[in-house]
Amino acid sequence: MRHSILFLLSLALAIEVSGCNSAPGKPGPESKVLPPDKILNFDSLYQQNCAGCHGAQGSGGAAIGLNSQVYLAIADDATIRRVTAEGVPGTAMPAFVQSSGGMLTDQQINAIVTGIRTRWSKSNPTDFAPPSYAALTPGDPKRGAEAYATYCSSCHGNEGRGGSRAGSIVDQSYLSLVTDQYLRTIVIVGRPEIGHPDWRGDVAGKPMSQQDVSDVVAWLSAQRPKIPNQLSSSANSSEGGTK
Amino acid sequence: MRLVQQLGEWFDERLQLGRTLREVMEHPVPRQTASWWYVFGSAALTIFVFQIATGILLALVYVPSGAEAWNSLQTLNQQIAFGWFIRALHGWGSNFMLAVVLIHMAQVFLFGAYKFPRELTWIAGVFLLLMTLGMAFTGQIMRFDQDAYWGLGIGASIASRVPVFGPALVNLMLGGPIIAGATLSRFFALHVFVIPGLLIAFVGLHLLLVLKLGVNEWPMPGRIVRRATYEREYHELIQRDGAPFVPYAVWKDIFFSGFILLCIAACALLLGPFGPSGQPDPTIIQTAPRPDAFFLWIYTLLSYLPPAAETPIMLIGPVIGILVLLALPFVAGEGEKSWRRRPIAVLTILLIAVALGTMTQLGEHTPWSPVMDAWSSDPIPTEYLKGRTPLEHQGALVFQAKQCHNCHSLANDGGKRGPALDSVALRLTNDQLIRQVIQGGGNMPAYGKNLSAAETTALVKFLETLHPPGQEPARDASRGVAVGAIEEQPSPKQR
Repeated sequence: MRHSILFLLSLALAIEVSGCNSAPGKPGPESKVLPPDKILNFDSLYQQNCAGCHGAQGSGGAAIGLNSQVYLAIADDATIRRVTAEGVPGTAMPAFVQSSGGMLTDQQINAIVTGIRTRWSKSNPTDFAPPSYAALTPGDPKRGAEAYATYCSSCHGNEGRGGSRAGSIVDQSYLSLVTDQYLRTIVIVGRPEIGHPDWRGDVAGKPMSQQDVSDVVAWLSAQRPKIPNQLSSSANSSEGGTK
Repeated sequence: MRLVQQLGEWFDERLQLGRTLREVMEHPVPRQTASWWYVFGSAALTIFVFQIATGILLALVYVPSGAEAWNSLQTLNQQIAFGWFIRALHGWGSNFMLAVVLIHMAQVFLFGAYKFPRELTWIAGVFLLLMTLGMAFTGQIMRFDQDAYWGLGIGASIASRVPVFGPALVNLMLGGPIIAGATLSRFFALHVFVIPGLLIAFVGLHLLLVLKLGVNEWPMPGRIVRRATYEREYHELIQRDGAPFVPYAVWKDIFFSGFILLCIAACALLLGPFGPSGQPDPTIIQTAPRPDAFFLWIYTLLSYLPPAAETPIMLIGPVIGILVLLALPFVAGEGEKSWRRRPIAVLTILLIAVALGTMTQLGEHTPWSPVMDAWSSDPIPTEYLKGRTPLEHQGALVFQAKQCHNCHSLANDGGKRGPALDSVALRLTNDQLIRQVIQGGGNMPAYGKNLSAAETTALVKFLETLHPPGQEPARDASRGVAVGAIEEQPSPKQR
């Protein structure tokens, strides 16, 4: 009798001890809350700072998808680091590094850049040869109009004023909010997750050439309003501009 | 076994406590009170003893110093075997103790147990409640994390509103003009010596009164309490229908206390210890501190108070509340005990429970407070971006970059400070959206100076897409005439 009680007690203790070591409530090493400037974990950093615009897993947000293989192929680490740290003036991309008025340290910016590369870069850049990130030669607006008609007008409509499948890209407000580099990147990378093909998919079997991209961007850039931010013009364009 | 008995006899010969103890244990209680409704007081006492035990274990490791406290909690959580478990037991024990004390109090109120001659028992109980709350608040400070730091800040700023004595009170509370090491030492002394000492004294008084006056009989509708006759009636009841507390009634108390302890252990094992959250560093502004569960209702109340009412309600409200509790047995010391004949008492309990529950729920979600990182961490749902124009995509980016998301939710993500915008296009026309964005209004600040014309246009274009499919967005019927577009859409009558 006494032995069985002792046995039961030691059994209960053993269950208790082994249970405690793997109990769901046991705080793991990651439970220690770090000061915000000491967080170097990519998932936390990306979730807190980038996911809002670039999407929870690097795509599907309002801004360009960072997990796009094409984007990762054309943008090198120095570019991603510069854009992340200093932002892109004139667009919605803010500066994130402390020296430019953001909240992140240089180490944290590095962690984000490395994280984006190692987490999402899967393909070998030599598998496909996209046009370069920066324009190699200046574009020509006249040839750009022709390239536009070939590659883009099936969706964005005649002269870019919007078609049945995509909206206007010559809207004055739109062009005021994007840089030439943004236009170039979006033409090359596209937004496949929301239906915009990359540079290869505009016309089947006929990818845009390096020069085509530069020309289309030059054509769009030429239509940017000379004096941006006119409130009166915006009030009119808000109703008529995109139609 | 014989040795134990001999030892016991040896001590009792000298202490002569055995007889008293036996009398205490076998004191007669009305048979009907051996009920599951009468177990909360003993459960509260059990948890209190449990809290003392786990508290002592924690105090062996905890360093009550501003610089070391947070680290010593990390040591407890990570390095000391079962340190996290003891912390979890103590934290959950605190929650359970407050819950059981509140249930006990509600039960005593509904069963009329505070009425003559048990007024003093009730008053001691009120002080026990205040001390339990004091233990919970000071215990939250012991965690010395961001929640503790800002909780202290709020406590100090309430104290500073006391007329004339405010600054002196803050100084007394914080041990100086700011929250520092001295503050923690002070609250450690309160949490470990002062309040527990008082608690033990008042628990003693409370128990003594229960023994002297007897357990409240089961309330029967129509059995009226009268000062002149109650004690005789109670005595007769005990004579007629009494039973010794041990063993007749005690087993339910033991069972329930054991059950509560198991619940605490289960919560501790499954859900773990509370915090600590970030380090108590006032230079860290990326923080959203909030009080522990039992103070969330105060958090909500303070958030919703109009500014002019803050000081009077903060300072006079608690005084009135405590006075009402203390005056209760004197105002309603006689009469019906049964809750079946006391509708106002039942309604009071329901009202308080619903109010506290609602305010706690609100405190959980803090709809009054912007979510400061929603703009950069809560994406706009992809469905809201598919099939939109490039300008509308830019508008979505403006929505994030200008931090609209911090106050306005989309698909339930983001702040609740302003209205959800999932169907804003049904409510506001293009002109109204532009006006609201530029000029603000209601609680919304004006964004006119922070947005370029292009940004405003893009943002409003995006907002105009926010309506359920199949429902037409709001439109200004005169707009077509004004811009001369009416010819494009001739109405059927004109044809």
